[in-house]
Amino acid sequence: MLEKPSVIRHYRWHVGTIAWLLHRITGLLLIFYLVLHIWVIHHISQGPAGFNKVMGVVQTPIFLLLEIGLLGCVLYHAFNGLRIIVIEFSKEGVEAHKQIYAAMMAVAIILFLIGGVPMFIHFLHALAG
Amino acid sequence: MAEYLFRIFRYDPEKDEGTKGRVQEYKVDVQEGWTLLDVLVHIKWFMDGTLTFRRACSHGICGSCGMTINGKNGLACETQIKDLGTQVITVEPLRGFRVIKDLVVDMEPFYDKLYAVKPYLITYTPPPSDRERLQSPEDRKLLDGKYECLLCGCCTSSCPTYWADKDFLGPCALLKAAKFSLDSRDEGWAERVNVIDDKHGIWRCHTIFNCVEACPKDLNPTKAIVELRRMALRGRL
Repeated sequence: MLEKPSVIRHYRWHVGTIAWLLHRITGLLLIFYLVLHIWVIHHISQGPAGFNKVMGVVQTPIFLLLEIGLLGCVLYHAFNGLRIIVIEFSKEGVEAHKQIYAAMMAVAIILFLIGGVPMFIHFLHALAG
Repeated sequence: MAEYLFRIFRYDPEKDEGTKGRVQEYKVDVQEGWTLLDVLVHIKWFMDGTLTFRRACSHGICGSCGMTINGKNGLACETQIKDLGTQVITVEPLRGFRVIKDLVVDMEPFYDKLYAVKPYLITYTPPPSDRERLQSPEDRKLLDGKYECLLCGCCTSSCPTYWADKDFLGPCALLKAAKFSLDSRDEGWAERVNVIDDKHGIWRCHTIFNCVEACPKDLNPTKAIVELRRMALRGRL
């Protein structure tokens, strides 16, 4: 018997697959961020000089740009997480999971624009000097 | 009539041992109204008698001809060729199972999971002496969308969680568990919950919904799993 057959064509993706995959990816990125965040904050034990030094690094333009990505990850993970909670605990949520996804993502995108546009302008200012 | 190219997965345990299988291409003149099963039968009868696949009823009720068609699971007998919308059609055996030959997979692990959830009515109180166990129409309605399953394996083999965790009971077995657990006449929840309230049971599902997309009977195993989770939670509280 053949344990692992070759794949001719990849299994088709749909809304649920994409929602789950992005949830995984953003979740892993958030764990990475959490470690980085704790690493930065722990410098406070070295007093104002040490803390200001590391804060200077994370306020460079590249980090300001990455922060917009962080906002995106947080919003996606939070609102897809809400979608999963609604699916699990509401009566008709399972049938309407695609519509719930669309609604949650609409809110997430609006919040991303509200937060992301000022952050991008801040990034441009930092870039200009 | 239109000519289609069929790219079909082939594996002969006698000739292809040590390989991961191969792809064989067949050009078939497809008649109006042909299903994929009609095409496979045509290939087997008139082009290549060595092509192996399971079939029985050819009317979407036996669940034998589940396979991966253009990257999505379904029954060959319920798949109209012209509905697929492509001129090149790939046919693969169900994923997540071992391949015995060509499109025939080893369903034993799938059945083992089914037996594990005790998919039968469990009762302790004897039935009324003068009649069968009655069920109200409302209680009967709760089982709609749960009893129609054919055991074709399309859902479980479409589940990425099952691909990663071969001990996962899978959407089909859990749908069956829900069918009997939600039955007003059943008294076997205490036995069944021991099997399904497990890290390889209801809690393993990541609500990816591949099973719902794949089910040829348009059933909703994810809904069944969510209902079982609520029952298990209520039992714990």
